[in-house]
Amino acid sequence: MKLFRTTSAAAICVLFIVSAPVYSQDTTEVKSEINNYLPSGLSLLNQLKYSKDLQNKTDIFEDWLNIDYRYDVFSTGVRLVSFEPKDPTVAGLKRKYTTIDFGYIKADIGDADKGMDITAGNYYAMFGRGLVLKSYEDRNIRIDNNLLGLKAAGRYMGFTLTALIGKPLNLNEKRVDVLHAFDLEYGGFAPVKAGFTFASNQPGTGGGSNTNAASIRVLPSIGNFDFYGEYAVKQNKDQQQEYFNGSRSIIGKAYYGSMNFYYNSFTFSGEYKYYDNFLFGTADNSVNYNTPPSARKDYTFILLNRHPSPLNQNDEQGYQVEANYTVNDGVILSAVYGLTKTLPTGSYFQLVSGTNLQEMTQLKESLVQADVTWSGSLKTTAALAYNEELATNTVNITPVLENRFYFNEINTISLTIEHQQTRSRSTLEHYYEDVFTLEYLRSPDFSVSLVSEIDTHEPEAGRRVRTFWNFIQFGYNIFGHTELSLLLGSRQAGAICIGGVCRYEPEFHGIELKMLTRL
Amino acid sequence: MRSLILLCISLIVFSSAFAQDHKHASPNVKLEDINGKKVQLKNWFGKGPVIISFWATWCMPCQEELAEYQKLYNEYKERGVQMLAISIDDEKSAAKVKPFVKSRNYSFTILLDSNSDAAHEFYVHDVPNTFLLDKKGNIVFSHHSYKRGDELELKKNIEELLK
Repeated sequence: MKLFRTTSAAAICVLFIVSAPVYSQDTTEVKSEINNYLPSGLSLLNQLKYSKDLQNKTDIFEDWLNIDYRYDVFSTGVRLVSFEPKDPTVAGLKRKYTTIDFGYIKADIGDADKGMDITAGNYYAMFGRGLVLKSYEDRNIRIDNNLLGLKAAGRYMGFTLTALIGKPLNLNEKRVDVLHAFDLEYGGFAPVKAGFTFASNQPGTGGGSNTNAASIRVLPSIGNFDFYGEYAVKQNKDQQQEYFNGSRSIIGKAYYGSMNFYYNSFTFSGEYKYYDNFLFGTADNSVNYNTPPSARKDYTFILLNRHPSPLNQNDEQGYQVEANYTVNDGVILSAVYGLTKTLPTGSYFQLVSGTNLQEMTQLKESLVQADVTWSGSLKTTAALAYNEELATNTVNITPVLENRFYFNEINTISLTIEHQQTRSRSTLEHYYEDVFTLEYLRSPDFSVSLVSEIDTHEPEAGRRVRTFWNFIQFGYNIFGHTELSLLLGSRQAGAICIGGVCRYEPEFHGIELKMLTRL
Repeated sequence: MRSLILLCISLIVFSSAFAQDHKHASPNVKLEDINGKKVQLKNWFGKGPVIISFWATWCMPCQEELAEYQKLYNEYKERGVQMLAISIDDEKSAAKVKPFVKSRNYSFTILLDSNSDAAHEFYVHDVPNTFLLDKKGNIVFSHHSYKRGDELELKKNIEELLK
């Protein structure tokens, strides 16, 4: 424990101790004339989070320290991660550690049309829209499926060829499986782009055959229309033998298409998806390589994220359409409708799972929204959403009203009222939630938000049970390079957006301090 | 644990009292624009200050910020100021970027960063996030999130660069 604390403290504090004297200057200088006293090319990022949950009596300390160095076409960097204890929402076995979990060396030669880049060490990669491969980090939801190995990309005559070999970190915090992949894209003929992807996962332990995934995609652009279409298949010889006695050449398939249309200030977009037994990952299923488009709406309001529908690469089909119309400088209208269903009988997923289930609606969502700027000092957003969600088996109706008052050039007060009526289709219970968010924003450095949520249930007729959640959050920016955030109170689980920052957070009761420093 | 946190906060406050924004070279990220053309950031260097705004279609403060930046861009483009808005919409919402931009009639350049490669290089974790580069490509100002009035700070820094 002492060793851990010492290491964590060293990682964070040395950064600031060092930064203080090297940046010390005459404060009358204007920002644009400030010299950089760090060695040229060096940059640092430190993200710290400390939370004390008074209800669960837990302290969680997390810190990520990135150090990167660039020189000409070369760059290198490391990321030091410290946890004490590890956030229980994070997958993995270790309860506490401090380690370098990401390091790379990269050479980037040439320009955007003709050149190449090579990365050795840890890297992320995505081909197309992620149907076959999407390796990425999302710290807010603690996803990091980086690969350790070698990635090279070359660009010439409109072609881009990317090839990689790498090992993902599994739940046991070991890198055993090996992913080989390449992607070839041609964009030399302006109206149409096309690409081909192949990826193969080689199990590291326990043997078994490789799982292969391949896709072909086209992106035509005709007049006021843009299209994207991708078709993918998955193979695994062991599974093909086990489930189909070798009679089928593939074990899963997926296709995704999107279409955009725009005419003056009116735009329309539509997406279609079909993902059948197409989760592509390591042999132990602890790491996913692919995250295809979910064709679901992303929301910033709290209650609209209260019943999220998780993507299921193995068992879903559906579509989403969205229309936007800018009436004039002060009025923007938008409407969204989406439907996601499970797959019908006879799908690869049902054959492999040995089930014979009818299609079910996994998510039905619709939203209409109007953004109206009444004057330079008042802006209103009004939205109404309807949502049917299978994971929580609920039907939700949510009206939202947000008013922003700009009472001078740098001071803003925002009041948001959200209400959600929910009907559980399992218990037939009706309940509702209300969220009131009052924010004061003072540009450029200060914000304070008061968020109050009331959860009202009626377990028996005439007996109402209310649960209150209240927190206050302060945000402050120190000299342009460090952002501090302090939260006091209790918070429902869900996606939260305050002062322009959006993130997903679990249920919490206590104190939370966040600090982000960029140098 | 408490002492560790207090120690760090003390050091931040102490170091910040003597520190200011500094400038260092911007990474030369290579991305596609919304028409599929491959571009690299250094092609914008040498002509004048460059405003870079990381944003997403689902981010409401970003929409408010981009509307203000459009006004700034209109005001300063004749004096050599350039503007790039880098969308971090991922595979879920990438299809919506072009319709969104068309419906808002933005006249600045929109780039796509679907796997957040450029965002990682700029240390962007949440949007909106703004950077101002001098004509040599050095980052001279950055700002996270958006509050009405933040554009005034950006404007002040642009004016400094144009002196």
